Amino acid sequence: MVTETGTLVDTDRGLLNRRIFIEPEIYRQELEQIFARCWLYLCHDSQIPLPGDFFTTYMGEDPVLVVRGSDGQVRAFLNVCRHRGNRLCRADDGNAASFTCAYHGWTYGNDGRLTGVPNLREAYYNELDRGRWGLHPVAQLDNYKGLYFATFDPEAPPLREYLGEMAWYLDTFVDRREGGIEIVATHKWVMPCNWKFPAENFGGDAYHVQWSHLSAITTGFSVGSTARPADTNRVVSPGQGHGLICIGPDAFGDAPMPEIQAYERDIRPEVETRLGPRAKLVNPIVGTVFPNFSVLRGTSRTLRVWQPRGPEKTEIWSWVVVDKAASPEVKRAFQLSGVRGFSPGGTFEQDDMDNWQECTQTCRGVMSRRVPVNTQMGLGHERYDPALGASVSDCGFSESNHREFYRRWAELMTNKTALRGAGDA
Amino acid sequence: MRNEDLIREVEQFLYREARLLDSRRFHEWLELFTDDVRYWMTGRSNRYPKSSKAITILDPERYVEDDLTRPDELALLDETKETLAARVARLDSGMAWAEDPPSRTRHIITNIEIEPSVSDSELTVYSNFIVYRSRAETEQDFYVGAREDVLRRVDGAWKIASRRLILDQNVLTAKNISVFF
Repeated sequence: MVTETGTLVDTDRGLLNRRIFIEPEIYRQELEQIFARCWLYLCHDSQIPLPGDFFTTYMGEDPVLVVRGSDGQVRAFLNVCRHRGNRLCRADDGNAASFTCAYHGWTYGNDGRLTGVPNLREAYYNELDRGRWGLHPVAQLDNYKGLYFATFDPEAPPLREYLGEMAWYLDTFVDRREGGIEIVATHKWVMPCNWKFPAENFGGDAYHVQWSHLSAITTGFSVGSTARPADTNRVVSPGQGHGLICIGPDAFGDAPMPEIQAYERDIRPEVETRLGPRAKLVNPIVGTVFPNFSVLRGTSRTLRVWQPRGPEKTEIWSWVVVDKAASPEVKRAFQLSGVRGFSPGGTFEQDDMDNWQECTQTCRGVMSRRVPVNTQMGLGHERYDPALGASVSDCGFSESNHREFYRRWAELMTNKTALRGAGDA
Repeated sequence: MRNEDLIREVEQFLYREARLLDSRRFHEWLELFTDDVRYWMTGRSNRYPKSSKAITILDPERYVEDDLTRPDELALLDETKETLAARVARLDSGMAWAEDPPSRTRHIITNIEIEPSVSDSELTVYSNFIVYRSRAETEQDFYVGAREDVLRRVDGAWKIASRRLILDQNVLTAKNISVFF
């Protein structure tokens, strides 16, 4: 039975039916309608810099192998052997000319072509057309400033169009300096919560910082730049469900480490020139690219994917990033602020997990599920700001981005053709 | 001192440390560390060894088969005495929600081996740990791994001058690392 998901989200009144966080049937539809259609983040260029370099990840619950072929071209495939469906590559990363399935030994080149089938002549009578049984590729793959994304939907608009105005906001995280960023660490862990809680939180929940994270601020791990609804703070939605929290252009959001503060002061003229006049209006520090890719530049610098693992489970795959052009001392300071702020042991991050877990698990109750949750903060007070190319709130605390996220979610869940152009501002 | 006596002394030191942690006596626990301690924890990666037939390596010169983070790379924890103290201060704030209500831990420390270190006043101590964590109603986690400590004699008492922890998981199955090891 198909659930009419359109009726579960009422963004005009700021009400969400809690069935969307718990019901297996709705989760199954999310995998089809959202994760099998949207552009999803795979990995960063610095993780697969040279021919043969590979990286394994997921798109929704589909295992995916991203590999730079011997020809230098990056491709992505289902990480699944075409013979019996075994998982082909079981390593996190590495370098390979070819991959061989552990079950019967079918072998694929790093361009996805099936190159080896044991006993092809005797057992298959040479009748198996190897050209038709290469690894199954994603429908589209593209790279925005070193960030590789892919979609399973051949009809999806190009990545640049999918990102829209969000592209500039991504620049403020990954293209601050010549050379962009590089990945310096990976953290992966399991959270017992629905994937939408972290996605909506990073996409616009400045409100929780002053309470959830106050202990990390008072003990010196963070400056807590979003902990007050300062005049210059904004939540910003550049359309299509994407959202960010921005602080004022002169405000400082990084960890309170002297090396980092001095660095940011030194590079500011270069960053402003590179990012253009909008960088004099806002300083984006955290955001979500719909549906499940988030970027962070406050307290710690990370990119992360909220990998869905059933309605009540999410894996966080998080990567600490640094500007490639920074000195080794500055990179080290960013590394340390990463592990101490946002990681399984991070003094910020560990307090989020508990809240998202309980927000999910209380949906198990029949009566709890019948009572909607409130997403009304700032309802009716958002406005379109042409200079920012986005819908914005004038108060630093607002749930206008939450409403944009769930509006987009409902559109995709109910309308099979809504991906192209839908939700454009 | 006879080697047996030294092992016994080190064991007692580590057991006492475990008891302090399980009793949440974190301020006393902090006093067991030297001021210059590095407290570091890594997880594990999934990598094919060079001998694996699952892949044909294209670029053997660059191939990494080690599944541990290198000490200069970012790990799961990378702390100094100062940041450990700040973590304890955070727990005292009444707003460290991951530990409020607190985890109930039991540190099982085994496989203790000692080895002379570079200086006469230091010892390298290897041990394994199982840390059981129960929390709230039915939450439970097992953190299992190895420790490599450097113990230093300071004013006649042992202190931990370095702690290197290996946690034997790739995707950590616990939702957080809000307890100490």
